[in-house]
This record gives sequence, C-alpha cells and structure tokens, in this order.
Amino acid sequence: MKTNKKFLTILTLCIALLLTACGATDAAGTDKTNESLTETGTVSTDSSNTALNDLYQQENQIFADHEAVWNKLFGMMSKSNADPSGNYADYLADTAEANKDSFTEDEWKTLTDDMETIRKIEEQIAGLEQGTTAADNTAPGNNSEADSPFRNFSGQDFDGNSVDESLFSANAVTVVNFWFTGCKPCVAELSMLDELNNTLKAMGGEVIGINTETFDGNEIAMKEAAAVLESQGAQYRNLSIDSASDAGKYASDIMAFPTTILVDRNGNIVGEPILGGIDNQDNYDSLMQQIQSVIDADSANQ
Amino acid sequence: MDKRKKSLSGQTAGMRGWIQAAATLLTNIHIPNFFKGKIYQGNAKTVCVPGLNCYSCPAATGACPIGAFQAVIGSSRFKFSYYVTGFFILLGVTLGRFICGFLCPFGWFQDLLHKIPGKKFSTARLKPLRYLKYMILIVFVILLPLLVTNSIGMGDPFFCKYICPQGVLEGAIPLSLGNAAIRSALGKLFTWKCFILITVVVLSILFYRPFCKWICPLGAIYSLFNKVSLLNIKVEDSKCIGCGQCSRVCKMDVDVCRHPDHPECIRCGACIKACPKDAIHYRFMGK
Repeated sequence: MKTNKKFLTILTLCIALLLTACGATDAAGTDKTNESLTETGTVSTDSSNTALNDLYQQENQIFADHEAVWNKLFGMMSKSNADPSGNYADYLADTAEANKDSFTEDEWKTLTDDMETIRKIEEQIAGLEQGTTAADNTAPGNNSEADSPFRNFSGQDFDGNSVDESLFSANAVTVVNFWFTGCKPCVAELSMLDELNNTLKAMGGEVIGINTETFDGNEIAMKEAAAVLESQGAQYRNLSIDSASDAGKYASDIMAFPTTILVDRNGNIVGEPILGGIDNQDNYDSLMQQIQSVIDADSANQ
Repeated sequence: MDKRKKSLSGQTAGMRGWIQAAATLLTNIHIPNFFKGKIYQGNAKTVCVPGLNCYSCPAATGACPIGAFQAVIGSSRFKFSYYVTGFFILLGVTLGRFICGFLCPFGWFQDLLHKIPGKKFSTARLKPLRYLKYMILIVFVILLPLLVTNSIGMGDPFFCKYICPQGVLEGAIPLSLGNAAIRSALGKLFTWKCFILITVVVLSILFYRPFCKWICPLGAIYSLFNKVSLLNIKVEDSKCIGCGQCSRVCKMDVDVCRHPDHPECIRCGACIKACPKDAIHYRFMGK
C-alpha cells in the first residue's frame, strides 16, 4: 500500500514537472501572442482600409447628389493636367476657378459648399493613408527602427583599426556573420563568406565577421581567430566589439552559431537571422534573396 | 506493509523517486529559461553535472560530461580532456553507477516511462546488447571526434550530434518551441534524432531502462568503476538464505548474490527492499 501511494504521488509530481518542463504550453503561448500581434496588426490595417473606403464613398455620394453640376465640372477637366499625387480638393477648386464663368450662381454655391466638405474628407484620407504606410513599413521588420544594436556601433578590426557605424552607411547592405573559433560549422562556411564578400563588393555590400571569443579586444582570441581565418583563406574584415555594447549584447543573446544577419545603410537589421552555415544551399539561396531585396530597397530610396 | 524497522539502506532505496526528482530539478534549475527560449550561459556551465543532461537544455545548471568530453576531444586546441576524465574518475570511484540509479535525469525519465501500465518484457535474453554501449563510447565519443576532423583538426561531437535522445528531449524540442529562429533551422538531423527519441520512449515503456543498458556511454564509463567504487552493495553471507528474491526483482538482470558489484548494477536498491532477511545493504567506504 505504502509503495503504491508513494508511486502515485511521485507519478503525479512527475507529470506536473513534465508538463512544465516540456515547455509546449509556453511556446504555444508565445506563438499565440505572436499570432495575435500580427493579427491585431492586420486588423488595424483592415479597419483603416474600410475607413478609407467609407471616405471615398462619401465623396462619391456628394458627386451623385449634385450630379448635374459636378458632371459639368468633370467635363471641363483636361486629362493631361490630372495630378493624382496633389491635393484632390485643390485640383477640383483650380478647375472650377478657371471655369467660374460657365456656372450660374446657384451652381457655384453648390460646388463651393461641396468642395469644402471634400476638402475635409481629403484631410482625413491623407491622415489615414499616412498611418497605413507607416504601419506597412514597420509590419514586416523586427521593430529595429528605433533600437537597432548597430545604430551606435564601435569596434576594431584585428589590425587595431577602429570602426564605427559609418561601416554600415558605406554600403547598401552589410552581411554580419556571428561565429566563434571553436565552432566547426562556423569555420566550415568561412571560405564561402569570403567568396560572398568578393561578390558583394561589386553589388555595394560587404561581409563582416564578429567572433564572440574576441570580445573586448582579447588579443589571444584575436590571434587564434586570425589564424583560423587565414587557414580558410578568408580575408574579409573581422571585428572585435565590446561585450557591454548593444551589438555585444545582441551577439551574446544568439543561441545558435553560426548566425548571419543583414544590416542596411542606416544600421537597421533587415529580415530574419539565418541560422546555420551558408555552405548549406537553402541557407545560401535565402541569404542571396534577402541581400537582393535590401539592395533593391536601397536603390529605390536613393 | 511490515513492522520491521527499515535500515538506512532500505530508506534510501525507498526515497529513490524523490531523490531522482530533486537531482533532476537541481540539474535543471533555470526553469524560466524554458519560456525565454534561451540557455543559461553563466559560470556554472563550466562545471559538469553527474548525469546525462544536455548542455543545451534551457534550464540546465551545468554541462553534460559526455558532451564536454567530446567538445574538448573534438577541439583543435586540445588532444585529450584531462579535466572531464578526472571528473569521471572522481565520480566513478566515489559513487559508480549509483549516479545512474539516483542522479541521472534521463534515467529518471525512463523509470517514469516504465511505470506506464502495459505488458512488460524481460531483457534477460538481450544481454549481449549490453556491450553496444562500450562500442558507442569508444567509437562515437572518443574515436570519431578525435579522428574525423576538418583541415584544422576540429571534429564533431558525434554522439551528441547523431545519437543522444536526451539532446532532442531537453535541447532541441524546448529550444525550438521557445525560439522561432531555431525552429526555422530544424532539418533532417532533427527528424532523425526525434526518431531515436521516440524509439527510446517506446522501448522504455516495454523494457526497463533500455538506453542505460544498451546505449549510454556515460553509464558505460561509470560501470567500469562499479567494482571499485566507495559506494557499493554488500550481501551479508551470514544472513543470506539463498532464496534468490534479489535476483528475481533485479531489473538490470544482475545475479545479486554472486555479483553484487556487477557493472550493470545501477544501485537502485530493489534487491535491498526485496530481501526477506535484510541481508543486503549499501556500503560506503566499507561501512
């Protein structure tokens, strides 16, 4: 009996422990919060979209209510002058002003009243559209806009030359590879990274290595890392950074090596980090795709 | 059940489940890390824990001795892991496979699985498989990491990478659940290791501790010290009536009366509890 009881209590305890230890619940929890986050994101975008549609409908209703006079005005518009990017209310007013003589006093009054309403609607539309574009910009990114660890960057290469965030602003895209000397898969991709660096030079990019063993200017670790880099024929820049800096803290939080990330001209991290060596074809392809999109986005902004 | 006053050995054996639970908790003390999808990387990680417990478990307190041993052997800087070998000898000489029975989290995991009701099978006829763990120790833990290296002498931790089910259970699964980036990096190797884990789980329900008996290189190391370890089991010849109860209850297929210090004995104490004459007890340094 006694043993049975003991066994039962132990079993219950174990099941309880297993449940907590499995981590399934918590991960599902994080997943859910992530999902709901993105969902709320889309919901708010959706609601602003419906609001936009409502406003456009209101304008169309105004045109329909005073169909005769508005059609008269639309008939006077020249398609070549159409400037959709400017203020729509101004555009309507300009056309009306130019043809003021063609309207009777009543017609003119209807037009100017309606235009006042339209001007207000247009202001709301402009506000909403700004909100959506801003949301669109932040949605796919990790909210790195404000707190990218590479905004204020400092480090030194293995020859002792200091570098700062201008390292990133010099190129459309910077590939930052985190590794450590004792990591076999990290060493295995060093030669590929060197090839990538040569390819990127022509495209306006650079590969930077950050070895977590060389933090805080550790001379011995830097020598060892330099020897490994040389043995693999890797010549791109490797940097020693301060472990207490933002970038150092970011690197210390990395759970799997090698990890490769992309940083744009402004020091923002772009896209998702790539875990595992780029000597794996899938990883290489996805990295190249991301590099291309960062370069495209950069040239579009110029 | 009985009114006999239990000996210290009997009490220890009776408390085994609790000791295992406590050891598992102490070996994995950083529970909140499960929710963060991160592993503890502080100074205690430079120390080995006695049992088989993955370094990459988010909650892990210290390093797995088998993992540490391979990491050092596989590193280009060192040829041999003196520190971890010393650790093996120290623990082997003091406790031996008592660690398997009382302190190892993966041993406890298999004990619990075996409590799931259902048909149980004896492993008495599968004794030759016991030698497999020594092969795994020599080939996957020592030789392959030492010999299969890249141009600058770095090897893979072959046992951790290709065999160890504890790594999937404690490392890969919780980490990938808590960390989206790691989840996206899972590949064929993860599938293979999950297959091994599921096999071990199913076998553990049907057999008692199949991993410890046949696979575990850490158990293989400790087993070598069972004959000389300070903690061992003594059968009092004067009390023994030769009823054979001890060997009948032994789930590790040990003939307790004849070989109380058999390499396979994990010191679980089932024989101590079963002996009608209290002739069997734990002994530390001859007492």
